[in-house]
Amino acid sequence: MNHLEELFHRRSVSRRRFLNLAGASAGAAAVLTLTDGCSDNGPSSSPAPPTTPPTTPPTTPPTTTLTDADILNFALNLEYLEAEFYLRAVSGSGLSTTDAGTSSGAVTGGTQVAFKTPAIQQYAMEIANDELAHVQFLRKALGTAAVSRPAIDLTNSFNAAAMAAGIGPTFNPFADEASFIVGAFVFEDVGVTAYHGAAGLLTDKKNLAAAAGILATEAYHAGEIRTLLTQLDVPYITYANQISALRAKAGGGAETTLSAGAIVAADTNSISYGRTTDQVLHIVYLNATAGVVKTGGFFPNGLNGTITASAT
Amino acid sequence: MSYENQSVCGAGVEEKVSSRRSAILLGGAALAGLALGGKALAQTATVTDADILNFALNLEYLEAQFYTIATSGMTLEQAGISTKGGDGTAGGAVTVKGGAKVAFTTPLLQQFAAEVAKDEQNHVKFLQSQLATAAVAQPPIDLMNSFNALAMAAGLGATFDPFANETNFLLGAFIFEDVGVTAYQGAAGLISNKTYLDKAIGIHNVEAYHAASIRTRIFQAGVAAQSASQAIAATRAKLDGTGTDDVGVGVVSGASTIVNNDSNAMTYSRTTSQVLNIVYGGGPAGTGGAFFPKAMTGTIK
Repeated sequence: MNHLEELFHRRSVSRRRFLNLAGASAGAAAVLTLTDGCSDNGPSSSPAPPTTPPTTPPTTPPTTTLTDADILNFALNLEYLEAEFYLRAVSGSGLSTTDAGTSSGAVTGGTQVAFKTPAIQQYAMEIANDELAHVQFLRKALGTAAVSRPAIDLTNSFNAAAMAAGIGPTFNPFADEASFIVGAFVFEDVGVTAYHGAAGLLTDKKNLAAAAGILATEAYHAGEIRTLLTQLDVPYITYANQISALRAKAGGGAETTLSAGAIVAADTNSISYGRTTDQVLHIVYLNATAGVVKTGGFFPNGLNGTITASAT
Repeated sequence: MSYENQSVCGAGVEEKVSSRRSAILLGGAALAGLALGGKALAQTATVTDADILNFALNLEYLEAQFYTIATSGMTLEQAGISTKGGDGTAGGAVTVKGGAKVAFTTPLLQQFAAEVAKDEQNHVKFLQSQLATAAVAQPPIDLMNSFNALAMAAGLGATFDPFANETNFLLGAFIFEDVGVTAYQGAAGLISNKTYLDKAIGIHNVEAYHAASIRTRIFQAGVAAQSASQAIAATRAKLDGTGTDDVGVGVVSGASTIVNNDSNAMTYSRTTSQVLNIVYGGGPAGTGGAFFPKAMTGTIK
């Protein structure tokens, strides 16, 4: 704990100067609009060109119009989920009240993993630090527009995913370090595809630069986790691929079956997949049924913000 | 910042990192205007998307040659992959020692190396197809003297053979991959076409997957390999003029440093000029050096 607190303090101190400069980007984000690419059917489809920004933000945004703030808040929801998972795994406790927002939802489950391998504990610490920094960065960049942490479920969600994936009736990613790596796998590639899809929807170049920096960090995490899985014993890589198949079913394909010679999740041009916000919602709500989904899986009460329900 | 198992990378990194991020947040325009010591001002003129994709293609030629040779002993042309320009111009020569195929002993690493070789070949082919007749030919590439010069600069000895064994291969790969990530990140802000941007982001991600897997394996290879990666990272940061925007593999405050990112957990971005300074080993813009002894092909060089 002392280690963690010290490290978090270090990060938050060094963040401050930078964020002062980033303030302008949040303000700009609130008034920028663009055409929603979310109703596209495939990850390869291009977003429509930006529309002319209105002079004032609409009070009730139509479903086809998203601001950069909407998209960054969508990302923030995903970062809350990842941060809670990793922070609880390394320390037993999650985000502070300050980092979760004033009207934050409850978190179900998540306990400290009894790491046996120092290296795996160090990997987990690093990723926990990164996800916390992402939450803090996005909250600061969004300012008063930042949504609070929604309710998050880290127990029933994994059990439901395990059942749907054919792994078994229960799965506890906090049970041991190998299970933890499988749990991490559930999230990381999804983060990459979500940011990839979202990057093209952002209008402000500053937000794009920030998103690209977060996105590549998620890709590092994913590459690391996938590498570690290929080094584990048989059942774990099988579990991971069962999860991958489940994600593909819910999220429009966009998966590469993991093996020693397939560390990277990418298409036949060796370009990573992008997912629409709809596809990401189907995955995190653990609902592969086509149509509108609003809650479920990791977010029992849904996401917070404007992007909360899938259109298709 | 200091690594727990090493003491490399001077103090005050956090402060400098923060100020570097502020420069990046000013956006593409500021990035394009950043010049280092009067060197390589390639972005002062307007660059087109094709210019940027050709810049990326040069980097992909370099990576593809390295991995293809390491895994098969063949150059791209020998492996049946064209290095010609879209106008038919022949690709430049590759300088590499004889018998450079790495004698892999770890099947997991060998399979991964083959995957990366395929990915980089695919990137070359994809960019060539997108650029069509505008695609540049491969410039002359040096995979021998370049590594020796970098090793000297990093304090790793007078020579370095990235094909000698598995650990050296990992360190050779390490030299490229993180640079690829930063280059694509910087380039993404300069691309105007949304489809190209999407593809660039997608390649950017794949380079990050590669970088992570290589860094994880360096971490597992032990303290000596980690230490070498830290020396290389410091050298890259010195070459790009910041001295701070690069993190080697190690342990800091109980956490590993698999991801090469800043205190906001964002990966670094480099301008084309900064990338050129690294791959040229500090050689002059337009003239080249190190991996590109005759400079890159295209307008950004």
